[in-house]
Amino acid sequence: MMLNYLAYAVAAWVFLWGLYGIVTSKNLVHQVVCLAIVQTSTYVLLLAIGYKAGGTAPIFADIPVGTVVVDPLVQALMLTDVVVEGTVMALLLSMVVKANEVAGTVDPEELRILMG
Amino acid sequence: MSARTRTTLFLISAAGLAAIFAWGLRDVPPMGDYRGPYGYVLTQVAVYERHATDTVNAINYDYRGFDTLGEEFILFASVLGVLLLFRPAGQKKEDAGKKRVQLEDALPVSDTLRVGMQAMAATMIVFGLYIALHGQLTPGGGFQGGVILATVPLVVYLSGNVKTFEAIVSNPLTTLAECGGAGGYAIIGVLALLAGAHFLTNFVPLGKTGDVFSSGTIAIISVTVGVEVAGGFLVLMQSYLREIIEERLQEER
Amino acid sequence: MSITAYIPLPIAIPLIVAAFLAFTGKWVGRRACDTLAIATALGNLCLTIVILHGVWSQPYVYWFGNWWPRPGGIALGICFSIDAIGASLAVLTATLTLAGLVFSWRIFEETENHFQPLMLIFMAAMCGFSYTGDLFNLFVFFELMSVSGFALCGLKTQTPGPLQGAYNFAIVNTVGAFMVVIGVGLLYARTGALNFAQAGRSLGRTPADSLVLLAFLLIAVGYLTKAAIVPFHFWLADAHAVAPSPVCVLFSGVMVELGIYAVARVYWTIFAGSLAPNAGELREILLIMAALCAVVGALMCFAEHHLKRLLAFSTISHAGLMLAGVGLLTSKALGGFVLYVLSHGAIKGGLFLCAGIVIHRLQKIGEDHLHGRGHEMRLTAAVFILGAFGLAGILPFGTLLGESMISDAAKDFPQSWLPYVFVFAEILTAGAVLRACFRIFFGWGDPAPTDESSRIEEGPETTAQHSTTPMTMFLPAAALVLLGIAICAVPQLRTTADSAAQVFVDQPGYAGMVLDNASVAAPAKSPEESLAGSIVRSSIAGLLALALALGSVFRKRFPKLNFTRSLETGSRALRTLHSGHPGDYVAWQSLGTAAIGGLFAWFLR
Repeated sequence: MMLNYLAYAVAAWVFLWGLYGIVTSKNLVHQVVCLAIVQTSTYVLLLAIGYKAGGTAPIFADIPVGTVVVDPLVQALMLTDVVVEGTVMALLLSMVVKANEVAGTVDPEELRILMG
Repeated sequence: MSARTRTTLFLISAAGLAAIFAWGLRDVPPMGDYRGPYGYVLTQVAVYERHATDTVNAINYDYRGFDTLGEEFILFASVLGVLLLFRPAGQKKEDAGKKRVQLEDALPVSDTLRVGMQAMAATMIVFGLYIALHGQLTPGGGFQGGVILATVPLVVYLSGNVKTFEAIVSNPLTTLAECGGAGGYAIIGVLALLAGAHFLTNFVPLGKTGDVFSSGTIAIISVTVGVEVAGGFLVLMQSYLREIIEERLQEER
Repeated sequence: MSITAYIPLPIAIPLIVAAFLAFTGKWVGRRACDTLAIATALGNLCLTIVILHGVWSQPYVYWFGNWWPRPGGIALGICFSIDAIGASLAVLTATLTLAGLVFSWRIFEETENHFQPLMLIFMAAMCGFSYTGDLFNLFVFFELMSVSGFALCGLKTQTPGPLQGAYNFAIVNTVGAFMVVIGVGLLYARTGALNFAQAGRSLGRTPADSLVLLAFLLIAVGYLTKAAIVPFHFWLADAHAVAPSPVCVLFSGVMVELGIYAVARVYWTIFAGSLAPNAGELREILLIMAALCAVVGALMCFAEHHLKRLLAFSTISHAGLMLAGVGLLTSKALGGFVLYVLSHGAIKGGLFLCAGIVIHRLQKIGEDHLHGRGHEMRLTAAVFILGAFGLAGILPFGTLLGESMISDAAKDFPQSWLPYVFVFAEILTAGAVLRACFRIFFGWGDPAPTDESSRIEEGPETTAQHSTTPMTMFLPAAALVLLGIAICAVPQLRTTADSAAQVFVDQPGYAGMVLDNASVAAPAKSPEESLAGSIVRSSIAGLLALALALGSVFRKRFPKLNFTRSLETGSRALRTLHSGHPGDYVAWQSLGTAAIGGLFAWFLR
C-alpha cells in the first residue's frame, strides 16, 4: 500500500531537497541547476497523478481504442515544460555568465550589493 | 543573514513543508488509480475526431494547442532574452567588427570519437526529422524532434570539427527558423480565424488515420514547432559561442 | 455586435509582430521597430476596449479550436471566459504598455531591437492571463509573463546590479511557478479537470479536505509570490531598482496586481463552494497577511532613498491593500479591489515614468545625490505631487472609490480595523513620495541621510545629460496620472464595479455560463453608499502625509520632529533582511508557505 504513495513522497522529497540546494548554494550556476531539480519534482508528481495501473501508452497506432491506457493529458502538460525548461535555464545561466563577466564572481554572497 | 541562520530558517520551514505535504497528500488518489474524466474522454475520442493515433500530441497541438503556443513563445522569449543579455555593447561592438579570434580548427580527439560522432550526426539528422514528422502517429512530435536536431551541432563539435560547428550555428537561417516557427504557429491560428472558425481550429482536411499526412494542422504545427525549437537552441548556442569569443578577446587584450 | 472575431487578437497579433520584429530587427532601423511596436500596442488598446465594451453587461466565453464542452460539462479545450473585470485589466495592460513604449522612444540606444518584441510578448501574456478560464493556460501565461519580465529586467548589462536584480526576480518567481504547477496537478488529481468551471463544479460544495486545501495553498502562494505579498516580496525591490523605467511601469502597474487577481479568480470559480464553511477563518488569515504586507511595505517605503526602490516598496504596501480587497471574500470588496487596481496602476505607472524622467535629466536616482537638482523640472514635479496624492487616495482619484468600497465591506466583519491600515499605508507611502519630491525638485531642507541603496549607481538609461524633458517622456507620465483621476468620470462607477464583482463571485452562475452556455443572471444593483467617511479618512491621510514629508525635510530646524529620522533610517532588522541574497529570499518563501500552510491546516479543517 505504501508503494502507491512512494511517487508522491519522492516528488515532495526532491522538491524540498532542491529548495535546500537553492538556499544554501555558494555558486550561482549550482543554484540554477538546483532550480532545475525542483522542476523535476513537478514532473514526477504530474506523471504519478496520471498513471493508471495496468495501462499502456496512449498511442493507438497498434492497439484498439478502448484499451486501458495511462492519462495522456499530464504527459502533454509535462512534455512542453521539459523543453521550455532548457531555455529558461539558459536565460538564467546567461545572467550568471554576464554577472561573472561584469563583477568577476559567481558567489551570491559576494554579489549582493543591493541592500535594504 | 548569515549562512547558518539561513540554513536553520530553511530547515525549520522544510520540516513544516514536509508535514504539510504529508497532511495534504494523504487524501490523494493512490498512484495507478487515475479517475478523472478529462484524460479518459480524450483517449476515447481523439483518434476518431482528429485521425491522430498519438493522443498526447493531439492534445498538445489541437485540443490544448493554445497552451502549446504559449509555451513555444516562452521558449522564444527566453532565447530573445539571452540575445538581449549577450548583446555586444560599447567596446565590444567595435572589436566584433575589427578582429576575429581564432577558435581551434580542430580539437584533438580520438579516432573513435571522431568517426563515431560524425556517423551519429548523420543518423541524428534523419532520426530527428523522422521524430518531428511522425508526431501525430507515434510518440514524438515537434518538441522532441527539434531538440534532437538541435543536438546535431554539439555532436559535430564533439567529433572535433569546431569550424563546422561554428558554421552551422552562425548561419543566419537559424534566426529565420526560430522566428518563422514561432510566428508561423500563431499565423496558423489566425488562418483558422480567416476560415471562419475559432482561433487554432483544425481546418485542414484530416486525411486517413495512420498516414503521415493526416490529422490536419496537428502535423503542420508539429513541424513548425520542431523548426522553432531547433532554431531556438541553435540561436542559443550561437549566442553562447559569441560570448566565449568575446571573452577570449578580452583576455587577449 | 459580436466580439467573437476580436477575442484571440490581443494575444495573437502582438506575438506575430514580436516574432517579425525579432527577425527583422537587425536590418530595420530603430525608429521603424519602435513605430511598429507602438502601433501594435495602440491596436491592442483598441481591441481590448472593444472587448470590454462587448462584455460590459454579459460575460463571454470563447473556446479555442472550436472545442465546445461535451455534454455532461466536460471541457476538452481551452476557453477564455471574459468578464468586465478581466477585460478591464487587459485594457490597463495595453494602456501601460503603450505608455512605456512611447516613453522608451528616447532611450535604450543599443538593444539590437530586442526590447520591443519582449515588451509586446509581455503585453500579450498579461492580456491572456486576464482573459483565460483554464488552470494550466493561466500557468502558461504566468510563465510567459515571468520570462519576458526576467529578460526585460536585466536589460542594462553594463553593471552587475541589473543582472543580480533580474536573477533574484527569476529564482523567486520560478519557485513560485513550480508551486502553482504542483497545486494545479493536485487539483487535477482530485477533479480530473483543468477548466475553472469544471473543477469548481466537481468540487461543488463538499467541504474541503486536506488535498483541496493543499492545492489551494500552493496555487495561492505561487500567485502571491508574483503579487509580492510579504514574505514573498523581497524580489520586487531588487527588480524595480534596476529595471528600466518603462518596464517598472508594467511590473508595478499591472503584473503584481494580476497575481492577486489570479488568487481571486481561482478562489471564486473553484474553491468558494468547498471553502465556504471556513470562509470566516480564511478571511482572517488573508486580512492579517494583507495588513502585515501593507505595514511592512509602508515602513520600508519611508526608509528608502533610492527613488525606484521607494516606489517599489509603495507597490508592495498597496498590494497588501489590494489583497485586503480580495481577502474580505465579498463582492463589494472585490469591486473596490478592481477600482483600486485600475487607478493605482495608472498612478504608479505615471510615478515610475516621472522617475525615468529624473534619471534622463539628472543621470542619478538617489534622493541624497539629487538634492535640489531638479528645480528646473516644474511640470514633472507637479505630476509627481499629483501622483503622491493619488497614492493617498484623496478625491478626485480613483483610489478613493476603491478604498471606500473595501472599507464599507469591512464594516460587516470583525475586521473593522481595516480602514486604519489603509490610512497608515497611505500616510507613509504618499509621505515618502512627497518627501522625495520636496528634496529633489524643490531643494527644501537638508539633504537626505545617505544609505547603501541610494549609492547604487543605476546605469543611465540615456546617453547624455539633457536640459529639457522630451514630450515623448512627459506626456505618457502626465497622461497616466491624469487617468487615475479620469476613471472617476465614468458614471455609476461603483455600482458597475459592484455588479461586475457579483458576477465574478457567482460560482454556479459561472459554471453554467462556461459549461452549459447559460446566460448569467443580472446582478442586483445596490445603491451607492456615501463617500463621506472615505473622504474624511483620505483627506486626513493626505494632510498627515504632507505633514510627515515636510517634517522629515525640515527636521533639523525643529528638534521635536526627530522621530521622523528614525522613520527614515528605518528598522535595521527589516533592512538587513532585504539582503539581496537569493538564498535568503527562497528561505523566507519556504517559511511563509509553511506558516500559511500551518494556519490553513489548523483553522480550515
